[in-house]
Amino acid sequence: MGRAAYIRRRLILMAFVLFGVSIVIFSMVRILPGDPAFLILGDRATDQKAAELREQLGLNRPILEQYWNFVSGFAHGDMGQSLLYRQPVGDLVLTRVPVTLTLSAYAMGLAAVITLTFGILAAINKGRWPDQLIRVGFLFALTTPNFWFGILLILLFGLTLHWFPVAGFGETVPQHLWYLFLPALTLALQLSAVLIRNLRGQIILTMRSDYIRTAHAKGLSERLVLLRHVLRNALLSTVTIFGLQFGFLVGGAIVIETVFALPGTGQLLIQSITARDYPVVQAITVVSAVLVIVVNLAVDLSYSFLDPRVTYE
Amino acid sequence: MFLRKTGWQAIAAAVITALLLSACTQTGSGTGSPTPGASSAGAKVLRMARNAEPFSPFVPWQIDDNPTLFISVNIYDTLLRTTKDGTGVEAGLATKWTPSADGLTWTFALRDGLKFSDGSAMTSSDVKASLDMARGGEKSAWKDNYVAIKDVTATDPKTVTITLKQPYAPLLSVLAMFSGGILPADMAKATDTKDYDNTLAWKTKGTGAYYSEGWKKGDPIILKRNTNYWKGTPALDEVRIEYIPDDNTRVLKLQGGETDVVDFVPFSQIATLNTQQGIKAQTFSIQQTAFIILNNSKPPLNDVKVRQALNYATDKDAIIKNVYFGQATAMNSPIPQGTYYDKSLPGYPYNLDKAKQLMAQSAGASGFTVDMQVRSGNTNFANTAVILKDAWAKIGVTVNIQTLDTAVVRTNYRAGDYMTTPSAWTNDMNDPTEIVNYAMRGGASPFAYWTRYNNPDLNDKITKADLEQDTTKRAAMYSEIQKIYLDAAPLVFIAYLGATAGWRNNVEGFYIDGLSYYRFEDVKINK
Repeated sequence: MGRAAYIRRRLILMAFVLFGVSIVIFSMVRILPGDPAFLILGDRATDQKAAELREQLGLNRPILEQYWNFVSGFAHGDMGQSLLYRQPVGDLVLTRVPVTLTLSAYAMGLAAVITLTFGILAAINKGRWPDQLIRVGFLFALTTPNFWFGILLILLFGLTLHWFPVAGFGETVPQHLWYLFLPALTLALQLSAVLIRNLRGQIILTMRSDYIRTAHAKGLSERLVLLRHVLRNALLSTVTIFGLQFGFLVGGAIVIETVFALPGTGQLLIQSITARDYPVVQAITVVSAVLVIVVNLAVDLSYSFLDPRVTYE
Repeated sequence: MFLRKTGWQAIAAAVITALLLSACTQTGSGTGSPTPGASSAGAKVLRMARNAEPFSPFVPWQIDDNPTLFISVNIYDTLLRTTKDGTGVEAGLATKWTPSADGLTWTFALRDGLKFSDGSAMTSSDVKASLDMARGGEKSAWKDNYVAIKDVTATDPKTVTITLKQPYAPLLSVLAMFSGGILPADMAKATDTKDYDNTLAWKTKGTGAYYSEGWKKGDPIILKRNTNYWKGTPALDEVRIEYIPDDNTRVLKLQGGETDVVDFVPFSQIATLNTQQGIKAQTFSIQQTAFIILNNSKPPLNDVKVRQALNYATDKDAIIKNVYFGQATAMNSPIPQGTYYDKSLPGYPYNLDKAKQLMAQSAGASGFTVDMQVRSGNTNFANTAVILKDAWAKIGVTVNIQTLDTAVVRTNYRAGDYMTTPSAWTNDMNDPTEIVNYAMRGGASPFAYWTRYNNPDLNDKITKADLEQDTTKRAAMYSEIQKIYLDAAPLVFIAYLGATAGWRNNVEGFYIDGLSYYRFEDVKINK
């Protein structure tokens, strides 16, 4: 099977996954106790007013009809109306996707640099102090809750050193990149913690292989052996983990966006869950699922570039 | 494999480019003032960071959330205004008001030369249209406040006459509430139509100090000064309000010089902020109370002695010290410290002996267990619950703390599906009619603030107090209402709270008034 057929099959699978996600999220938001009508109208509302609002919002229609409206609407690109803001959900969510996506991509970029630098450094110094320091240091990054870690970074780089802004998103593209640096770094450091350990292990393992000994025997420089032969083979499993971590990033962004006051989907999701704004919660979940699936597919496809032996069956 | 040679190198190169790019912008923007709009071309812009974003439609009588109404009072003026301390009313769009002898007809004389922010004249017909929408509009959230009004008439362009069905003492306070903000007549009517696009309401036309040209969720709210404002053009060109939900981040932004004013500073940080150079933080007294709602319909909480015992067993000072860091005072009356508040009432001073004595005579003599439903994310409520668990254990009451999502807690107390839950109240108007009707009147929804307490005699007294025109007599009536409710102890009364804010030293004149609103009309920013 060629790559095109493989992609086709994965896209069909994706439709099934999305169907499952839609059912799970649709049921979950409705199982949550808490009546959206009273959350919108406030404690002062009478039962009658709440009933009118439920009618108006279509919340008292049969559950299957509501599900059908959600799915068929989505298939036609209509995500419905926000219960709370009375605005099309598409407008609310899609303007925020780029923020979260940029944050995630930025974090992945930073994580790649950090992982390569420290992973190699740790491996070639195996057992010596730089290795120990890197391993303990990143263990700290991994085990610290990211909202706390974010605040520590703000205190150091924002308040004390004034290198980066404390929070916010800025207004122009260069400003966005500048404002997003600390939140992206917060996510990247945690992500790298997992990746560095993996890459270090793989490099050490690969260095023991026969072909590396051959390369050394041929008289290739240490540097060339490491970059061309060792790293290329060691990277494969790290890239797999890297891709799988995209889901983790989208999840981590929810908290980080609140700490750094970024107007992304995570911040909107938290507001919408609190307000039981069903259509918005559903839309964000499905959109995030699509993103994660697409990125995972891209990672799977990247194997064939990294390792020519990989074919798609 | 067309990418054979360049696989990861290409990715690395892309990443490095991105990094360089961000590094460039970093040096490009300098290190001084990182936030845009700080001082562009000498314009005076006040930057504020707030804890919440508006969600109600931006129409005064449709507003039911604080973030929206805090903006509204800066844009939509009312006939009368609440005084700064929140205890009286003063002239607003109307300069003079006179009642007829029977108290049923009120005549309001409008100020000369009133204009909306777009320069068009404001007349009595705009007042009539707006008040008619507030009291009768399909979408009005505050109709109950205006039920005493029979008719609003535009007698002549500068005179408004309001006739009442029956004498109604709180009328002036009601007219000073944000829900009576005045819009141009055509806009007021348009907002109530079924298909009205609520985003249009953010392109405002009011008579207040500022106006907005539009707002989209997620963007900062920009208020521009109204050069037609009847009190004179405000000193600030623009107020730029950003949404920063996290308490710590908001304070850090103030410390980092990225914003000029922040609201909802955690009580624990007020003292620390004041020790820092260039920053001030303060608690303003507002008409707010913190208490525990008890379900009066469920045994043993249906026994007044149990409820009184819980009140005596509550160490208010410990809560004020440890939860509110001294920024609160103990409640002595069931209503906030505003108009007709009776400061001579004793409250329930901490007295463990008395609490034990009452418990011994009560239905709960052998001790009992109660659930306390605490809204997740509310640190003050959570800490209060922990202190109460300890305090009430001393009289044989075991508190079972349940942390639940706010939406769940609200659904539960509405349905009567709870025993106890911490809550708070803020007056929206300077007259006690709101709190006594909402929180003390039983028998119908909201069942005396969901306590299910119902005293027909007290309900009757509440109705009569609304009709009494004589202020001395009315004060006596409210004293009696407060005493009856205090003795019945449907709640555990804890503390009067304040509203907190912090700002940079160059900000002058920022204050939060007695009803917790802030107006930017007198705020200045010095270079």
